[in-house]
Amino acid sequence: MDCPVKPGNDGQQNFGEPMITLYDFELSGNCYKLRLLMNILDVAYGIHPVDFFPGREHKSDWFLRLNPFGQLPVLQDGELTLSDSGAILAYLAKKYDTSGQWFPDDPAVTAEILRWHAVADDITATSSAARLALGYGYNFDIEKSRKGAHRIFRLMDEHLWFGEKSGRDWLCAPSHPTTADIACFPYVMLSEEGGISRQDYPALRRWTDRVRRVPGFVVMSGIFPAGPAKT
Amino acid sequence: MPLSLSDPTWYPIASSEDLPFRHVYQGQLLGRELAVWRADDGNVNVWENRCLHRGVRLSIGINEGQELKCQYHGWRYANQSAGCTYIPAHPADAPSRRIENRKYPVREAFGLIWSAANDDQPFAPFDGAQGEDWFPLRPMPVDAAPEDVVAGLARLAPDDQPADLLPGMAVRLGAAVFFVQPVDAGRAVIRGLLAGQPHDAMAALRHHNETLTKLRDRLERAAARKPAPEPLQPVFEKVSAELSTMPDIAVPRGNTITVVVKRKWKSAEGVIGFELADRDGRYLPTFQPGAHIDVHLPNGLVRQYSLTNGPGDLNSYVIGVKQESASKGGSKVLVETVREGDVLAISEPRNNFPLRRDATRTVLIAGGIGITPLLSMARFLDKSSLKYELHYFTRQSERLAFSSELDVLHGSIDRHVGLGREAITAKVAEVLGPYQFANHVYICGPGTMLEMVQQTASALGWPDEAIHFEYFQNDKVIDASSAFDVELARSAMTLHVPAGRTILETMREAGLTVPSSCEQGACGTCLTGVIEGEVDHQDVYLNKTEKASNTCIMTCVSRAKGPRLVLDI
Repeated sequence: MDCPVKPGNDGQQNFGEPMITLYDFELSGNCYKLRLLMNILDVAYGIHPVDFFPGREHKSDWFLRLNPFGQLPVLQDGELTLSDSGAILAYLAKKYDTSGQWFPDDPAVTAEILRWHAVADDITATSSAARLALGYGYNFDIEKSRKGAHRIFRLMDEHLWFGEKSGRDWLCAPSHPTTADIACFPYVMLSEEGGISRQDYPALRRWTDRVRRVPGFVVMSGIFPAGPAKT
Repeated sequence: MPLSLSDPTWYPIASSEDLPFRHVYQGQLLGRELAVWRADDGNVNVWENRCLHRGVRLSIGINEGQELKCQYHGWRYANQSAGCTYIPAHPADAPSRRIENRKYPVREAFGLIWSAANDDQPFAPFDGAQGEDWFPLRPMPVDAAPEDVVAGLARLAPDDQPADLLPGMAVRLGAAVFFVQPVDAGRAVIRGLLAGQPHDAMAALRHHNETLTKLRDRLERAAARKPAPEPLQPVFEKVSAELSTMPDIAVPRGNTITVVVKRKWKSAEGVIGFELADRDGRYLPTFQPGAHIDVHLPNGLVRQYSLTNGPGDLNSYVIGVKQESASKGGSKVLVETVREGDVLAISEPRNNFPLRRDATRTVLIAGGIGITPLLSMARFLDKSSLKYELHYFTRQSERLAFSSELDVLHGSIDRHVGLGREAITAKVAEVLGPYQFANHVYICGPGTMLEMVQQTASALGWPDEAIHFEYFQNDKVIDASSAFDVELARSAMTLHVPAGRTILETMREAGLTVPSSCEQGACGTCLTGVIEGEVDHQDVYLNKTEKASNTCIMTCVSRAKGPRLVLDI
C-alpha cells in the first residue's frame, strides 16, 4: 500500500500513533477540500491514491467495502472510517481545530454551515458534473448542469455581495472562514473546466481571492494562488 | 439596432468597489473580454483579457500591486502602459520594452468604471451627471439582448412619468439612472445609479436589487423564446512581427521625449532629486528595474541617469543627481541652472543592468549616488514580495539619499556610514558570504568600490554571471594610439580606424547608424558582436568572462590588438 507522508512531518512516520489516511484522487475537488482543511489545521496525514479516472477504482470491491456508496473521499483516522467530504470537514474541524473557528459550536452557526454544506453538494451535482462530462467522459447533461451551476452562483454572488456591504467576508456570519467556505470553494474554482464562466459573479470571484489567502492554503491542479494581499 | 464592434460609446463596465487592491476583475464589452485591475497607486487598468505570450486570460493572473503577472509563464506587465517588464524565461532578462498588451480607454466616475471599444470619442459625463452625489446599485447581469434590456427598463416607468431614454443605452427613471452595458449580442449588465445618498443604504440596495432581479427573470424568459443572437466576433490583433522579434543590433538612436521638471529638491547632502513628467500629463514609457535615461542638458552634453522608480510608476521619472564640484559640466548644469518648470529632452529608458527575479537570494550593494538603480530594483522586488538585502554605503549620514523612499520598503535594508576602505571590504565580504546556487549580487557605485566588490565576490566563489554591476563612468585612461582596419561583415565595408579616432566615430563617418549613449565604455549601448580579431577591451561594461570570450566589443572605446577586426554589423 502506497502511503506517502504529507511533507511537513519530515517523512518521520510514527507507526505507534494512529494516523490519518486520505483515500484520494488528485484531481477531485471533494478530496481537495480535505487536503485543504488538513493543511490549514496543520494535521499530518498519509495519502492512499485511488484511480478514480480512468481506472474507476472507487467502484472496485475493496473500495466499496470501505464506502458502499462508491464515492471519494474516504478518510480513516485510526479505527474510524468516514466518508462524505462535508461530514469529514465537520469531523476534522471538531477534532483537530484548536481555535474552534472552522466549525463553531454555536447552534445558529452550525445550522448556517450545514446549510452551505448542502449548497456545496448542489455545486458538486452541477459544476462538478459539467466538468466530469466535459473532461472525464461522463454521460451527464452538460447544459442542465451548467444552468444549475449558474443558478447557484447567482445566489452565492448576491449573498456575498450583500455580505461585503455589511462587512461579512465569508459565507457564514462569523468574522472568519468556516468549513462552509472550504466546502463550496473547489467546484466554484474549477467551474471553468466545465465551461461555466464566473465573469457574471464579481463578488464570488472576490471571495475566491479571500479563500486563497487563508494561511495554510494549498493549491490543486486548476486552482491557482491569488498572490499576497496589499500590506 | 445591432451592436457594433466599433461602437465608440463609453459604457460602464464595473463598479469602483468591484476593484479592491490586488484583485483582477473579469469584464466584457461588445464581445471583448477585459482584465480590469486597480494598481496600488489607485490607477485602473482596462486590458484585453489575454496574455500576449500564450493567450491565457489575465483575469486569472496575479495583481502584484503595480504589475500584473500572468499565471501561466509569469510574464509581467506594467500598470498604465501595459508594457511587458519581465519574461522569466528570457535568456537576457530583458524583454523588448515595445511588447505592450492591448489596452482600452478608462475613466472612473460616479462610482463606476467606464470604458470604450476605441479612443474615437472623448469621455463625457451623462446628461445631468454633474453636481450630484451618485450612489451605485448592485449590478445585474442579464442574459438578454442589450436593446431588449433597455426596453425592459423603460417599461418599469409609471404611466404618468415615462422613462427618459438617454444616449448610450441609458434610461432615467425618476431619480435613478440605469446604464446597460452591452456585454455581447445576447448579454448585458444593468448598472444603476441613485441621485444622492439614500437614507437607508441597505434597504435601498435590497429594494432595487429585488426590482432588477424580477426584471432580469422576465427578460430572460422572453429571451429564451427567441433564437439566441449570434455572439459578436471580435478580431484579436496579432502582435506585429516587429514587436515579436528582438530588435536588430543597429537600432537608430531612439527619439527623445520632452519632459518638464516637476520637482527639484535636495534629497541629501550632495544629492539633488529631479522629478521629470510628461508635459501633457500622459504616462511615460515602460521601463525595467535598473534602467537609465539619457538627459540632454542645456549646454549640449548628454548624461545618463538611473531611474529610481518602482514598478508601473510611469507618471514621472525620478532621478538623483550628484552635486559634484569637479563635474565636467554635466551634473553641474543640471544642479545649478535647471529649475522646476524647465523643459528637458530625455531618451526612452534603456536597461543595461537587468534584474533577475528568480534568484534564491538577491544582494543589492550601493555606494553613494549608486543607490539610484538599486532603489528601483528594491522597489520592484518589494512589490512582488521577493526577498532582498540592500546595503547602502556612504561617507556621512547626511549623504544618505532617498531615505523616506527606503523607509517604506519591507526588505532588509542596512545603511553603512563612514566606514574606511578596509572596513567596507570586510563588511561586503560578510554580507555576501560564500556563493550559493542562484544567488545574485548587484553593485552600483564608484569604480574603486565596484572593483573591490567584484574581487571580494570572486574570492568567495561567486561566478561572474552572478555579479551584476553598473559603472557611472569609465575612469580608465583610454589608449587610442592603435591604428587598424575594421571589416563590417553585414554592411560589406572595410574601414580604417586611425589613432585618436574610435571605431564608433569611424562607422558614423561612413554613414552607418549606430546606437550609443555614454560613449565612454560604461553604459553598454554600443555593444557589437565580434567575428574575428582580438579585441583590446577598454570599457568597464563587460565582465571578465565576457571580455575573455572575445565575442563582443564596446565600439566607443575599445580597439583591436591586431591589424584587423571583423564586426557583426
